[in-house]
Amino acid sequence: MTDTTTILAETRARIADAPDVEALRAIEREVVGKDGVVASLLKSIPGLPPEERKGAGQSANELKQAVLAAIEEREASLGSAALEAERRADGFDGTLPPPRVERGTLHPVTQVTRELEDLFTSMGYMVLDGPEVELDDYNFEKLNIPADHPARDTQDTFYCSSPGSSASLLLRTHTSPVQVRAMERLEPPFRAIVPGKVFRQETTDASHEHTFHQMEGLVIDRNVSVGHLIGAMKTLLRGIFKKEIEVRLRPGYFPFVEPGFELDARCPFCTDGCSVCKRTTWIELLPCGLVHPNVLKAGGLDPEEWGGFAFGLGLSRLVMLRYGIDDVRHLLGGDLRFLDQF
Amino acid sequence: MFISMKWLARHVDLSGITPEQLADDLTLSTCEVEGIERFAPHMSDVVVGHVLEREPHPDADKLGVARIDVGGDEPLQIVCGAPNLAPGQRVAVATIGTVLPGDFKIKKSKIRGVESRGMICSVRELDLGDEHDGIWVLPEVDETPLAVGQPVAAALGMEDWVIEVDNKSLTHRPDLWGHRGIARELAAIYERELKPIDLEMPALGGGAPVSVRVEDLACSRYLGLAIDGAVNGVSPDWLRELLLAVGQRPIDLLVDLSNFVMLDLGQPNHAFDRDRLASDGIVVRKASAGERMTTLDGEERELVESDLLITSGGDPVALAGVMGGEGSKVGDETGRLLLECATFDATTVRRTSARLAHRTDSSARFEKTLDPTLPEAAAAHFANLLRGLQPGVSFPCALADAGEWADPARSIHLRGDVVRRDLGVELDDDAIASILSRLGLTPTATSGGFDVAIPSARALKDLTMERDLVEEVGRIHRYGSVPEAPLVGAIEPPPFDRRRQMVRAVEDRLAGAARFHQVLSYSFTPDDLLERTGCAGGDFVRADNPVAPDMARVRREVLPSLLGLVESARRERDVVRLFELGKGYRPEEAGEDGMPREVHQLAMVLALPPGVAGAPFDAGAFFQLRAAVDDVITAAGVTAPCWASADAAHPAAHPVKQVSGAWSEDLDGCGFVASLEPGVARALGLEGELTSDVAVAVLDIDALLAAPASPPAYRPLPKFPMIKVDVACVAPSEMPAAELGGMIERAGKGAVRDLQLFDVFRGEALGEGKKSLAYHVVLQSDTKTLTDKDAQKFLGRLERSLEQQGAALRR
Repeated sequence: MTDTTTILAETRARIADAPDVEALRAIEREVVGKDGVVASLLKSIPGLPPEERKGAGQSANELKQAVLAAIEEREASLGSAALEAERRADGFDGTLPPPRVERGTLHPVTQVTRELEDLFTSMGYMVLDGPEVELDDYNFEKLNIPADHPARDTQDTFYCSSPGSSASLLLRTHTSPVQVRAMERLEPPFRAIVPGKVFRQETTDASHEHTFHQMEGLVIDRNVSVGHLIGAMKTLLRGIFKKEIEVRLRPGYFPFVEPGFELDARCPFCTDGCSVCKRTTWIELLPCGLVHPNVLKAGGLDPEEWGGFAFGLGLSRLVMLRYGIDDVRHLLGGDLRFLDQF
Repeated sequence: MFISMKWLARHVDLSGITPEQLADDLTLSTCEVEGIERFAPHMSDVVVGHVLEREPHPDADKLGVARIDVGGDEPLQIVCGAPNLAPGQRVAVATIGTVLPGDFKIKKSKIRGVESRGMICSVRELDLGDEHDGIWVLPEVDETPLAVGQPVAAALGMEDWVIEVDNKSLTHRPDLWGHRGIARELAAIYERELKPIDLEMPALGGGAPVSVRVEDLACSRYLGLAIDGAVNGVSPDWLRELLLAVGQRPIDLLVDLSNFVMLDLGQPNHAFDRDRLASDGIVVRKASAGERMTTLDGEERELVESDLLITSGGDPVALAGVMGGEGSKVGDETGRLLLECATFDATTVRRTSARLAHRTDSSARFEKTLDPTLPEAAAAHFANLLRGLQPGVSFPCALADAGEWADPARSIHLRGDVVRRDLGVELDDDAIASILSRLGLTPTATSGGFDVAIPSARALKDLTMERDLVEEVGRIHRYGSVPEAPLVGAIEPPPFDRRRQMVRAVEDRLAGAARFHQVLSYSFTPDDLLERTGCAGGDFVRADNPVAPDMARVRREVLPSLLGLVESARRERDVVRLFELGKGYRPEEAGEDGMPREVHQLAMVLALPPGVAGAPFDAGAFFQLRAAVDDVITAAGVTAPCWASADAAHPAAHPVKQVSGAWSEDLDGCGFVASLEPGVARALGLEGELTSDVAVAVLDIDALLAAPASPPAYRPLPKFPMIKVDVACVAPSEMPAAELGGMIERAGKGAVRDLQLFDVFRGEALGEGKKSLAYHVVLQSDTKTLTDKDAQKFLGRLERSLEQQGAALRR
């Protein structure tokens, strides 16, 4: 019979040389497995003289225990070597570029609109919508701009025809028609903003577009004054520019407000004149005014009881100011190289 | 419009006020000042020279060599060709380094071998007129020759500042279209007196007045003043300089005076040569179709029936309010004039000038609606100015005055409390009255306020109601003095706005997890793009005056706008994902008010490089986009619709590769997902290296809002374990996957928790016209632990139902 000591020595040597866990498992099967060396040793015991049987059984068991212990030891050392190798991480370079993650984007006009919507809704304003194809009546007549009014000269309008309709249609030149639509529909007092697309028949260039975005604001309440308007506009500008902005009101003529103003804001981008403010330190930012009594009447409100103020914010212009965009045509141009930047 | 400070000073004392301050004050109280500029700045560099002697040039017959004293140590030697140069004259000298108009810099030079150290200037070289016959011989001032060496501008009192006012800020103020109107504002702002001017009509003779007949209501007043004994010629310097300062070229005295009166009072007027008018005098009438006339600028113009004409002897002599005619204009010989001061209808003048694309100083003013009492003042102003220059003129007959007009002067009641309430300022009644008076309005105190008399000049359109007077007080008081006030009142959160919340959720999901780019497009879709995408059918709202002839159609739907971007986007990158939320207009579904129906759509486009053989069945654009659409519908908080193959979902949809979604038969469909119609893809240029696998989808936002909501809902976590069963179904090729899915669901009797298709296979092994669909099925019960026996029962039920439908279970 084979000497278990020799077997153990040989096996231990093989275990020490085993390169990986698979090799250890093979040795394990070969030596202590079902048909392995230890099993055949045990099988041979009944053929031994009775006085040797006990010793042989013991030796076989000792061999098994010793081999298993050696395998376990070797396995542990192999494991820690593997851990060590993993920790060494030969050749790793964390500065290799990661895979590119494509992303989607919200249009910058949407982003700025949302910011303003959130600001205004926090102050109790509703967000309203209105038709882009509008009735002449709402775009002009009810806003105190009669047919022969010179204001129609300066607002170059896309007049429209619609098959089967005799209505006087146009593409709205401003978001202001929603003022009257809101007064007709809502119970005063109320506060509302109307972001949306507007249209002007004009030749396009880097600073002129025939289609752009505006945001109308309207507050209807009792005893609304110019002082309230100034307060609201300062709050608005603080929301947009995240800092206190000095403003000045000067007369501006818009038939649907009286008095009407141009609101200039102290240029948020400089202190002593820059290209944005054309070196004046003021930027003309939003036309506004107290709602004209005729407009209140057109909306079914009694001007003796109700008053209000309205303002129009150039969303497209604000987006351009915010991001320093130099060509308004990018906004509706749909170029991915532009959209991807926001 | 240009305003001269020196001109203003004829009407109001401006001493101590800088041009900058004046510009600021006008901007803050009245109208927008766009800029201020020094008048003829080069005149401050050109100096007065004294001609000491003039010798002939040794080498050129027509040139002279002059020695000019300009106040320096040595006289300057200057070569000059002017025939009128003579010793003793005072002349305007541009010395070396001076820059003249046209960026012309004077340098030391040699002319035919003789050194020349400057230039003696003509009127034209100084941009002060057209005269170029010789050098400008400077006049004496107070009969004293000018002091040598000083700037000409100072010597002649030519310093002036020109203020440019934005015309748009004057649209509602016809009274501000002349210097006197602006001066009245300044008088109110600075609390200074508006100087009186002589607007009394001079004594008129007793001769027969010129006949004037007004045949059309578009002329509400036509006033004609006959003048005899005028001598036309060059205007005096003060007049020329004021006109030059505001950008008017001096012509001759009569034309210059006419312009001066317009720019002073805002009333356009026209001087006819009375000898060139026919004996019947003036008839004001509308043009007849096809009538022609040659206007002052020498152009022959074809007239239309809406043009208002001034005629004489049947022929047009002026296009009313726009321009005079060539035939009757004043010239050098004119001694007998008819001065027209009239009031024409604003719209009539605007239409004519717009049609002829010819806006004049006159038409710009008439377009604002002029005061019908102004013609009389303007005629008197012209008469008095002319008589001041030429005492010999006479006015032989009474004024011709025709037309029907009413003085618009009115009275408006103003309550002090309304002023205080609307402006939000504490301003007592006296302060209010003071401001109104300074503006030329006349307040009379009544209980609680004033009756304010509004003069004709302001009453026509500008000041018609109480609120208009609130503005008058506010702007002179200054809005800067209004204290800021918080809006008070209950602030309630605005009502919940589901549409806006849904739109935001959709946008966020698409731009976020789905990685789409949001596009905002024009509402006009070019005809050519509509043709290429097959979307030109149906009625369109059309712009009557589009930016380009092929850009008249207002879009019915959003998708074509996105399709127009795919080609260029695919040049930029392999994968293109775009979406737009926008509106379309449908004329055929017009509402009662005649407005087309507005649809609100989400359009999506996904373009990928063409698919490769062996890719998973759901790798292509169609299924990728379907996944995104399902995801968006979940994000919108809406129950998933049933998708079914449809025909003709859309002209740009592939005839077969398309599905339409709906929730139930009662609800409108939600939209469709489709591969792009192959012909459309080619028409869009998606071929060759740009060949793409493109899918499109359109969802109707209103349909989503009407669909059954499916907000996130809690469901207790399962108590019993799930079991997974893989099933492979062999079915006829044409059987939709949705039908198989339904059979599996039903076979599970409510226990199917999840169903995931993982393979689609077609092959010879299956036989002709067959396909195999393999699913992972998860079964789970709320009441017991499912066993293999349950799985077998499920498979048995499935097998039977498949077989009934001509399909089979692969075991």
